[in-house]
Amino acid sequence: MKHFLNQLSSMQTFRLLFGVLLMCSVVPAQLHATVDDSVSFAYEAALPYYKQGFSIRKDAWGGDLGVHDKKAVSIQLFKGNTYWFLMATEVKGASLSVHIYDDKGDLVEGESWQKGRFAGARINPKSTGTYFAIVQILKSPEERTTWALVYGYK
Amino acid sequence: MMNSPLHTIVASLMLLLMIPAARADIPPKKITLSDFPAAAVDEVVVPVPSEIFAVLDKLGNPNWKAQLREGKVKTPEDRARTALLLGNVIAEGFVAVESEDSERVKEIGRQVLTLAEAINVRKSVITRCKSITDKADARDWRGVRSEFDGALQDVRAAMDELNDHDLSQLVSLGGWLRGTEVLTSIVQNGFSKDGAELLHQPELVNYFDRCIGSMTPRLRKNPLVSHIRDVLRKIGPIVGESGSSITVENVKTIHDLTREVNGQIVSGGNKS
Repeated sequence: MKHFLNQLSSMQTFRLLFGVLLMCSVVPAQLHATVDDSVSFAYEAALPYYKQGFSIRKDAWGGDLGVHDKKAVSIQLFKGNTYWFLMATEVKGASLSVHIYDDKGDLVEGESWQKGRFAGARINPKSTGTYFAIVQILKSPEERTTWALVYGYK
Repeated sequence: MMNSPLHTIVASLMLLLMIPAARADIPPKKITLSDFPAAAVDEVVVPVPSEIFAVLDKLGNPNWKAQLREGKVKTPEDRARTALLLGNVIAEGFVAVESEDSERVKEIGRQVLTLAEAINVRKSVITRCKSITDKADARDWRGVRSEFDGALQDVRAAMDELNDHDLSQLVSLGGWLRGTEVLTSIVQNGFSKDGAELLHQPELVNYFDRCIGSMTPRLRKNPLVSHIRDVLRKIGPIVGESGSSITVENVKTIHDLTREVNGQIVSGGNKS
């Protein structure tokens, strides 16, 4: 398991992050494509859910994938909680997806969305056990696309 | 009104334009998990205790104060035990947050710092520990919970940077063991199927077993680590049962096993 930037702790930090992201947006070229950048975008995607009272985990998972490649992240979820999984990439023009399956391979998410470099999926587990977040790069201008996944619960 | 031919054409064109975007992300209703080779499956995401505690709060009104462990911990000389104890103490922090005991939370924050120093990762948690104190004073429990989560990740990341991956895993394992002891204690006290189902964590237990199996022979042979592996192998078949099959006797068995091993993590015991 990979551990990445884990410094966000409050609304203030989120605001600071947005400031940094705003500064990054005026940089003309993506000079340093890293998973850490993708983690920052994933936390950006998580912000609305933080505001809704979800606790966003400090752990993040990520790597890089080719277009149409998929990866499974296995997760222990608990019946009674609601979870949001948020995925992002720092690669401009890329799009990706995240969907949640149970240990039998059935799609079990309550809802999901996909907006360019961001994607999300919500699940209210019907039982406690092992689930899989299936992440995929749908399209990308790059051969390998970095991605990051975070999740929140309440 | 959308009755004119022009409107119909525009609507059809819009629909056509939308189709590729929609097609881009229509997940299959069923997948074959075995299609994912080992390299395509990330290791198990280890939950923090508060993910489970949040459910317990919804199921009832647990007496969190009764779960708090008394006394201060002493820093062991054995690095493996120190790593396990660090995870154990951070998990205790989550219990103190649930019981909204600000003094206990602050004391645990100091213990985290002391234990982190013993394994050379103090620097990574200084800010967290200060923040734990500040937020406990402000009774910002959501904030404290977030800081304990952050402390856990920070010490693990710092250990990974030092190439102490095995110790990093032991921190997670120590946290899980203490979290499970508390979970089983609460579920036993007010047994319900929903509460017992929270113990259905087969992949997580297997994951910890695999982690120990991949550690250096020296660490694997550490008496405490070896004993924990034995305990995991006793717990595995129980938590592997479907959630609704976990009986009150099963819960007690897991509680007794984790309580005993946590006692050894805290005090050393005669196995190390």
